[in-house]
Parts: sequence; structure tokens; C-alpha cells
Amino acid sequence: MSTSNRRRTISVDLSETVGGEPFRLLALSGLVVLTAAYVAVLREVTLVVGGTRSLYLIVVGMGLGATVLARAIRPRTALTIGLGASVLGFWTYLEATGHGLGTAITHADMFVSDTVTLATGMELLQMLEAGIWTLAFVPAPVFLSWYLAMRERYVLSVIPGGLALLFLVLTGDASMGVTLVGVVGGISAVGFGELHHRDGSIAQADVLAIMFAVIVFLSLSVTLVPGGAASPTFLVESEPGTLDGVIDDNPDRTTITGQVDLSPEVQFSVVTEEPGYWRTGVYDRYTGDAWVRSGPDGSYDDIGLAPPAGEYDTARHTFTIEHQRNTIPVAAQPTAVEGDVTDALRVTDHGQPMPDGPLIQGDMYNVESASLHNDPETLASAGTEYPEPITEYYLQTPESTSEAFEDRTAEILDAADADNPYEKAAAIEAYFQSEYDYTLDVDRPGGNAANAFLLEMDEGYCVYFATTMTQMLRAEGVPARYVTGYTTGQQVDDNEYVVRGLDAHAWVEVYFPDHGWVAFEPTPQSRDDTHQDRLEEARADGEPNVDTDASAGVPADGIQDEPDALEDIVDGVPAPLDDGNDSDNQSDGTPDANRTPDGNESDDDPFDQRINPGGGTAPGAGADDDDAGIPSIPFSSGDVFVGLAVLVGLAAGAHRSGVPALVSREVRLYWHGFREEPVTDTRRAYDRLEHLLARSYRPRERGESPRGYLASLEATHSVDPRARRVMELYERAHYAGEIDEEGATEAIDLVTELARERAPVVGHLWQ
Amino acid sequence: MTDANPSPPTEATSRADTVEPLPVSTVADLAATVTENVGQVIVGHTDEIEHVVTTILARGHVLLDDVPGVGKTMLARSIARSVDCSFRRVQFTPDLLPSDITGVNVFNQKTREFEFQPGPVFANLVLGDEINRAPPKTQSALLEAMEEAQVTVDGTTRPLPDPFVVIATQNAIEPNRTYELPFAEVDRFMKKLSLGYPNTDEESELLARTVGHHPIESLDPVTNLESIIRARETVATVAVEEPVRRYASKLAKYTRERAHIGASPRGTIALLRAAQARAVLDGREYVIPDDIQHEVPYVFSHRIKTTSSGRDTDGDTIVEDALDHVHVP
Repeated sequence: MSTSNRRRTISVDLSETVGGEPFRLLALSGLVVLTAAYVAVLREVTLVVGGTRSLYLIVVGMGLGATVLARAIRPRTALTIGLGASVLGFWTYLEATGHGLGTAITHADMFVSDTVTLATGMELLQMLEAGIWTLAFVPAPVFLSWYLAMRERYVLSVIPGGLALLFLVLTGDASMGVTLVGVVGGISAVGFGELHHRDGSIAQADVLAIMFAVIVFLSLSVTLVPGGAASPTFLVESEPGTLDGVIDDNPDRTTITGQVDLSPEVQFSVVTEEPGYWRTGVYDRYTGDAWVRSGPDGSYDDIGLAPPAGEYDTARHTFTIEHQRNTIPVAAQPTAVEGDVTDALRVTDHGQPMPDGPLIQGDMYNVESASLHNDPETLASAGTEYPEPITEYYLQTPESTSEAFEDRTAEILDAADADNPYEKAAAIEAYFQSEYDYTLDVDRPGGNAANAFLLEMDEGYCVYFATTMTQMLRAEGVPARYVTGYTTGQQVDDNEYVVRGLDAHAWVEVYFPDHGWVAFEPTPQSRDDTHQDRLEEARADGEPNVDTDASAGVPADGIQDEPDALEDIVDGVPAPLDDGNDSDNQSDGTPDANRTPDGNESDDDPFDQRINPGGGTAPGAGADDDDAGIPSIPFSSGDVFVGLAVLVGLAAGAHRSGVPALVSREVRLYWHGFREEPVTDTRRAYDRLEHLLARSYRPRERGESPRGYLASLEATHSVDPRARRVMELYERAHYAGEIDEEGATEAIDLVTELARERAPVVGHLWQ
Repeated sequence: MTDANPSPPTEATSRADTVEPLPVSTVADLAATVTENVGQVIVGHTDEIEHVVTTILARGHVLLDDVPGVGKTMLARSIARSVDCSFRRVQFTPDLLPSDITGVNVFNQKTREFEFQPGPVFANLVLGDEINRAPPKTQSALLEAMEEAQVTVDGTTRPLPDPFVVIATQNAIEPNRTYELPFAEVDRFMKKLSLGYPNTDEESELLARTVGHHPIESLDPVTNLESIIRARETVATVAVEEPVRRYASKLAKYTRERAHIGASPRGTIALLRAAQARAVLDGREYVIPDDIQHEVPYVFSHRIKTTSSGRDTDGDTIVEDALDHVHVP
């Protein structure tokens, strides 16, 4: 870039040499800024899962090490050290996740695909061992960039840090602001580094200025981020979302917001003999202002739903979707799902199903759920011998949890004389029900919402109650998790319930050894009235979609003649004893197997004050949003294709900056190495094409055939003819099972071409 | 399960040895030629003509259901004339007897023996006109022939010619004077089609063609029996891979879950066969989901019985819903 300026600056006589040293410092500062940018992103992770101090130590240690070694070792050695540090780190990570290095080698393709997934927008926080991963990730870029900078190789020094930042941008963890700062830092390092090399002629400052301008412009205008993390919603407090939109839109993350509205629109209806709460999401990791689901997920066909251990009764529930949505309501604890939706169903590590595309109106499916029998005595004596997967997932608290929070929790429990996990849960539940009020009109507190809610607030809605209770239990060493979904809804017939947006709810599940997950309800009962009023108001105003055929004319509080459920409530019992509705499961340690929100399902609350979902009264008056209907695809995370293109582009970038051309050849060789049978290859190629098309136009609808999809796109857009060719090859492979090596290669090559050409920024590099 | 194929399996296998399938492109041309030829008589309705042709290639039978006078009979006759084959027509009336269809044993005075006098069903193409005017007993005589590709008279079973295709028409009006086809018997028709009224342009064209000599009088055969038999063999060899089979069965399952009675397994078999023929018309040796989507409204709708209270009012609606909701693999 500035090489051509060298001669010119000498001839221009206003050049005033300032000397190199200040520029060297400025260049190093730029690098510090770049490093700080990605370390700041990683710190966000460690603040949630712990390890911030270790992170700082590693960064400082690597920086010092690089400084000391800069003159002592050769670049090749430094590269080896850097990579060695990475390998060591990731080995630790693999050990921690229970896989070991052997797995990584034997399942290299899985390892690569995980990385691609991550690079296409999965947040770091969704990883199982996000903390260890972070600590493994950071040493190499810090060491290498600092080492190179100390050797005055400024351009090269920016590359490791830049790649680290780019990766974090792709995962969606780095925000635009941080990215911008990092990029500016990197550019400063390069720019001032150049000035340093040329002894700092001021005349070259214009080059720098232009570069800054270009970079700032690019950073602001090019959005390379495939699926950024949900942005904090408290910026838009003036226009509150609806409760169900806030808590039920994204199975990966749910953000705690301020004031919300209640939407009276019907979401789904359920035919069941065992009414309960309908669960749509299970979250385990708390960041202070959001809940994140960590861990992998798999297709329902492959992994299914683990049944609880021990004996249990099963109940069947038939759900009919009335409004397009991104999550799938099930009864906890689900053991099987049958129906239209199972083709595109995934199951999280927590045993909660989630759809791969939006569910649409008219979708119908059956859920089989397990109910076990719990009673307070056995729960109280369940002990605390938690299996390891449980403690690993469900005891996390963010570093922002204050001591005051822990002290206050301990005080409350002391006052209630609670000394086993069951009593603790019951005491916290009772505390909130008696000391707090219900309101939807909340100002989102700054910082850790659980801290603020326990220490400074005295009213809120379900999200706050459930979040805070979960964190209090975790602070006491009781495994708990945050669960979202809907209350039972309005009973419109003997066995039929209509569930609206205003029934959206969040509650808590607590783990008991040999029983599994038991639901608790910290939200005060006055919720029912608020939500019911909203339904009556919506009906009075004639708002649309408030009723189905079945619910029209049924009073807002449901059919009245169903007192059983209420009578069954035993105070403090998480699950009603008589109904059999309740369940407790005895399951063993695996997270999936364990969850049974019994209390909820059965309608009774463990505490008398609980909302009684089953009682047939619809707690709903609620709010909810229309947003639930917007078909945003649950994996906001973008697509494999961009990830591949970017990885290829990264290799290309490395090539440009002097790393031997070997690298890019390696990448291609690498991928060829993973070629499988032609049929599989062609399918994969078509999948990439579909992602590409979905990105450019729209995703394929479920009832659309590949050919119909393409034809419909071609009718309205000028679609590249290569897409049709790939589709035909795919049809041949998938529907005729006959394709040869040559055909598969053609499909792969065409898609790769298309992909590269469409890739933002990176595509141009390649060309 | 019962085979909807009019030809018994044994015959099919023995035929496979002797019948050489035509190339796919030849069959596609053949179908196009027949369709075009029939189109000289029937104005518009190209899709319906094509559906009849695919049904013949897919070894099925077809039911035309519409008001009188829209060309149902003419369509069947044109098809028969386009193929050089034996054609018989049976006008169903309330007093028609089963033996009027299958044939009777007649006592021959000279030989002093009973001789079988074949009924109209012994033809390659049988037009059962206004089939719903005859009582069920008579209808079932034809339907048994359709199912078994044979008739039994006085204890003697006689095979029907191959190919054997029934095109039946039924009147959608005058419900008081007709016997509705039993649900189980409607199931034996691979497809049910309605022609509908022509639009103004088409009707004007129709009038222009028919005002002098009716064009059917001058319609020449464009293919022969042997080609049809070989083309059927071609269709039978079209590949239907697992994803497509699953798709068909999921569509059927969807209808079963939503309707009082959904598409039967026989219906699913018929669907796949129709899709095979559709693939051949498109020049393909394998079935893709689009073929299924194209055929399913004609193959499934009449096999679905809805309850009156349901929100899905008829078979068509349920099939449409199924197409929207079932994932294309």
C-alpha cells in the first residue's frame, strides 16, 4: 500500500522527519487496541462462566513472553510455540468436554464442522465449556502478534489478532462497536508501523488518513456478521415487546427486558387429559442480562428423547398450532413427539425439542410425556448427590453475581429454616410469592438483573422471578434451570385448552437426585388477574385472533366446573398427589432424562400461591406479541456456506500476506479428502446451494420441492443458471440414487463457484 | 394388501421376460402424440387428457365426474380411437344386469352345449358411461373386473385382454336417480377427474370444429397396442427411491390423520404409479417429488372422506393442506 509512496515522500520537501520512535509506540498501541478488542469479547464469556482472571493472566503472560523472546527466537520457532499453545489449549478443552484428543483426530470432520458452525454464528456461550475454549483460544494470537510486532513486522503482526477478531465477528459475539475499534487498532498498527519503517515522514499522514476513512466506512457498511447475538433490547424500552415475543422467540437465547405487553392472540391449542404448563425452552447459562442455551443439539430422528429412569406414567397431548411460531410447545417431560413436525425437529442437550423451521398454522402433533410421582417428603430427602453432568450445566452463576446477593439469599433461607434443597426451593418460592408484587411495567435494571431484582426491586414479572430464583438456588449449590413456555391456557372443553400469547410464562425447574426435574413457580398469583383482564379487554375491543371456534364465548377464566385441580393442591408440594398429573421423575443424571416439571403440569403449584395452571383457570391474560409469528428461523446463525467461504477466504488472505501458497492448496486438498460417495457429496452440495439461495432470496418452504422452489425463484428473480444444474444433479442423486463421481464433482464445483462469487468481501479476494 | 393392478402379478412377471420396454423418450413422444391427437377433438383440457394418458400408462382406471355434456364420453372415445385397440362402451342404466357387462353362457342348440358370449367388458378400453345410474350389484361386476383383470361367469374364470383400461363417467347431478358409488369402489379408480366447462374462446373453437362433421369421425389411430404394452413396461421400471416413497406415505398419513377416512395404501400405490407415468412424460427415469405433487390432487382427493363438522370441508382441501404441511424430503 505505501510502498509506492516511498520515493515520492523523499522528493516532496515538506516532509518533515519526526523520527521513528513515536510511531513505533503508536503502532504498538494500535496492536494493543486490537488485542484489547478481542480480549474484551472473550471477557464477556468469562464473565458469565468464570475465568476472567485467568484470561488476563494468559494475555499478560503471553505478551511478556513474546517481548522477551522476540529477539531470542526465530519466527519459525515462534510460530511453533504459538500453534503449540493453541494445540495444548484445545487439547485441554477436548479433555474437559470428555472427548480427548483421540476423538479430535478420528473425527476430524466433525471437529471441522463444529468450527464451521461456530464461525457461522453460534455464540461462544452456547458451547459446553465456553470458558476453557476461551482460554484455549487466546494464547496463540496474543503471542504471535506481539512477537511479530516486537520484531517490527507490523503488517504480519496484525494478522493473528485480526483473524481472532474476525472469528469472533463470525460467531456473532463481537459487536459492531468492538469490531470497529479492533479494526481501527489493527490499521493503526499497520499504518504507524509503516511510518516507523520509513522514519516517520509526516507527508505520509494523508495515506493513513485515507486508510482510516476507508476502514471506518467499510466497517460501518459491510455487515459480514451472519447472525449476531440478540442485541440488548432495553434500547427500545419505549416500545415494549410482547411477553411471548420476548421470552419465546429464540430457543438459543432469551434476553431479559423491561416493560412488556401481553398479546391476546391464540398461539396453539392442546387436547389433553393431563393439563400442565407447556414448555418451549430450557436455558442453563445466565449472563446477567440474558439466558443462553448451551450444548449441542441433534436431530430428533437420531437422538430422540430420553425417557426418565424408573417407572412413570405416560400422558398424551395433542397440540395444534394456530399461529406461526419458532418454538415447539411440549409437555414436560416429553418422551416422544409424533406428527407433521418431526421431520425437521431437533432436540437440545437439555431434552427440549426445537423446530428447525417455523411451525405454521394447522401443524398438529402429539407429545407423549412422562409423569412420575413426587411428594415433598421424598423430595426433601432426595439428598444432594448430583450427577456430574447436572452440576456442570446447572450451577453456573455469572461473575457479576454480587456477594450481597448471596448473603441475602442465605438470609432468606435462614429465616425460613430451610436446610435441604427442596426446602430451599420452597422457601424462595414462598418468599417471592409473599413479598413481591406482579407487574409488567418494569424498568430494566442495569447490570445483573438477578442482583437488582433481589436487592432493589419489589415487583416484576415471571422472567424476573424465575431468573432470580434460579440464580439464588445456584448460589446455594442447588442445580436449577430457567424454563420458558406457556401456562395451561383457557379451558374451552373437557379436555381442550386454548393457549394465547398472554399465557407466556417463565418458571424454574430444580433437580433432585433420583427424581429429576421438578418445576417451581415463584411468580405471585396475582399474575392470573392481570393476564385475565387483558383477555377480557381484548375481547371487549374486538381484537383479532383472540379466539378460536372452540374458545369463542367461553369466559376468560375458563370453564368453571373443574375444581378438582384446585382442591388437589397441596401446599408446598410441587406436584399434586392425587392427580397422577404430577410427576416427578426419577431419572438419573443425564440432563435430558431428568426433567420433569411436574408441578406445573399438573396444575398445582407447589405452593399455594402458585398459579394453578391445571385448574382450568386460564392465567392468561396476556400479552404477547405478534412477533412470535414472524418466521425468523431459529438458528439465526447463518449458514454453513458463508462459513466455508470465509474459511476459504481466510486461507486466501493468508496467502496474500506472504504465508506460502501451500496453505490454500492444503485447504482444497483437505476438502477433497472428505469427499464421500457421490450421492452424499451431491446432497451436501445442494444443501450449500439451498443455503446460498435462502440467503439471497428466501428459504425453501416445507411443502416446496427443490424444483418447485427454484422455479418459483426464477419466476421473480434472475437466478444463476448454474443453480438449476445443481438442482438437477441433486434430483438425480437424491431421487434416483444414480450419480457418478463426475456429476458429484460438477455439483460441488458449481456450488463452490457460486458461493465464492457471492461471498461478501472474501469473494473478491478469491477472484 | 390387494393389488390395484388389473394384471395379476404372475402375468406381469412373465411379461417382463418377453416385453421389451420402450426408451423413456419414445414413451414421452408417444404420450405427447396421443394427447395432441385427442386434442383435435377435445378443445382445451390438455391437462385432463394427459391425466387420462398417464393413467393408462400407469395401469390404472379413471373416473370422470362432471355434469353432462362437457365431453366426458367424447374424451374416452377419442382416446380409444387414437390407440388402435378394441373399444366397447357400456351405457349404465338402472335396469342393467351384471351379465350385461360380463357376458353370459348361451345354450347352443346345435352343439347342445353352453357357449360363452363375452360381454362388453372384454375389450382393451371399456367406457362405462354414467356408471352411477346402475345399481351397486351391476357396478360391482365392472369393479371386480377392474380389480382382478378377469371375470367369473358361472364358475368359470376368464382373463380379460391386456391392456385393460376402464374409463368410467359419472353424473354429478340428479342425485335422486343415481346410486352413489360405494366409497370402497371409488378407491379402485386411480384418478378422478372433472373436465369443467370450456371458457368462451374454447367453446367458440369447439363449435367451429363440430358444426360440420364431428372431428372424431376422422380421428386416426396414432399408436397401437404393442406400443402401449411396451410403454407400460417402461413406466413400471421408473425408479422410485426411498425419499420419494416416504414422501408419498407421509402425504397419505397426513390425510388419514385429518380426515374421517384418508388415502388407503392402495391409494399410495396408485399415487406412485401415476407419478412414474408423470416422470416418463417429463422424460425422466426416476420420480421426483414434483411428480407426486402434480398427481396427488387427482389420486387422493376422491379417496378421502371428511366428516361434516370438520373444518376441512373436502378431500381437495385436505390434499392441499397436506402439500403445504408435509416436508418435501
